[in-house]
Amino acid sequence: MTTLDTKPARAEKRKDPWSQLLEKVGKNQDREAYHALFQHFGPQIKYYAMANGMANHAEELVQEVFVSIWRRSCLYDWKKAAASTWIFTIARNQRIDMLRKMQRRSAEMPIETEDLWQIPGEHENEPVTSLHRLMSERRVRDSLKHLPEEQITVIAKVYMESKSHQMVADELNIPLGTVKSRVRLALNKLKVILQDQNV
Amino acid sequence: MNSHHPDTLTLMEFSAGNLSAPHGLCIRLHLDQCADCRSRVDTLESLGAVMMESQPQTDMPVGMFDTILSRIDSEASGEDQQVSTAAKKSRRTSPLEKLLGEDLNSLPWKRQMGDVSVLDISDRFPGQKEQVVLQKLAAGGKAPSHTHRGEETTIVLQGAFADQKGVFNQWDFVTLDGEVDHKPGAVGCEDCITLSVLSAPVRLTGTFGRMLNPFIR
Repeated sequence: MTTLDTKPARAEKRKDPWSQLLEKVGKNQDREAYHALFQHFGPQIKYYAMANGMANHAEELVQEVFVSIWRRSCLYDWKKAAASTWIFTIARNQRIDMLRKMQRRSAEMPIETEDLWQIPGEHENEPVTSLHRLMSERRVRDSLKHLPEEQITVIAKVYMESKSHQMVADELNIPLGTVKSRVRLALNKLKVILQDQNV
Repeated sequence: MNSHHPDTLTLMEFSAGNLSAPHGLCIRLHLDQCADCRSRVDTLESLGAVMMESQPQTDMPVGMFDTILSRIDSEASGEDQQVSTAAKKSRRTSPLEKLLGEDLNSLPWKRQMGDVSVLDISDRFPGQKEQVVLQKLAAGGKAPSHTHRGEETTIVLQGAFADQKGVFNQWDFVTLDGEVDHKPGAVGCEDCITLSVLSAPVRLTGTFGRMLNPFIR
């Protein structure tokens, strides 16, 4: 299933420690690695739930995410996403799922949460894409340090509190246009905006 | 603006999981076919991950990891494999097919007028405020001129249509707002079928005095 062993050692070095641990869980059901992931990502997911106003369900969300990580770890491919990104998408999907269940909607909806929010991964075995993904992860982490506070605040509300741009504007009492321009400036620096991408 | 793709800010809301289910579906269907937008969503998801790791630390209750382990152990052996096989299989089926079946042309379309047929599928998304509508413009047909009052997000599911802004092919993404007065026509020899998510009704600007549905919304 994996061609990892035949890859040059150079590629191996691009793997961050969390991705290596996650891979061990997937390949060998390694519980020590799983525990290390829990200690690192568990508190993050709990915070994510609390920031989303789900304080009463925060520990439940952490549990659901980790059971899901265990079950799906055999599908994890470090060439497609860093562990942190992969785990973020699981946390996001489980949050949406949990909200749906609380609102008792899941029974009526013919498509599952994952059908909507998980981006299709089957096309993306091209080496260029993998390299791009790995670089984008690092680039985002590095350039985030240089963003002004006001841009980070807006982005944090979108990702951590799941607020729409309009809701962020209302909460900060600034015009929607200001929120959007802060986000655009930030995304420009993070090189998410299309024209800046050469890959 | 880049009118055949979702705006980057919308992709950001998608990657954060903040869009309504029907709006998310439009984006997801576009991503299935658009490597550029997929790559942007990848980066945006990394942004989400980096935001998550840079938040304040929280305490985990003692014994929680053991609870998780016992949940995992209580699952029948071999279930991991089954779950993942089922997950893989499920992900190969397009969400569109899960929602509407294989053949879009054989849906219970309602002829609206002339070349336009519609099918309201809002009830497939319980609890959503937006209206979700499939629209079909017969091959070679035209829709009456109209203006969009609210915001409309549309994705082309089959065939193609053209309006003043250009030609929109299968899996192209279109966002319209109050400013657009448009009169789309189907292009090519196939019926053009679109999926639209509408936040507010549409006003006809042509000779038709009454409210009509899509392509007209």
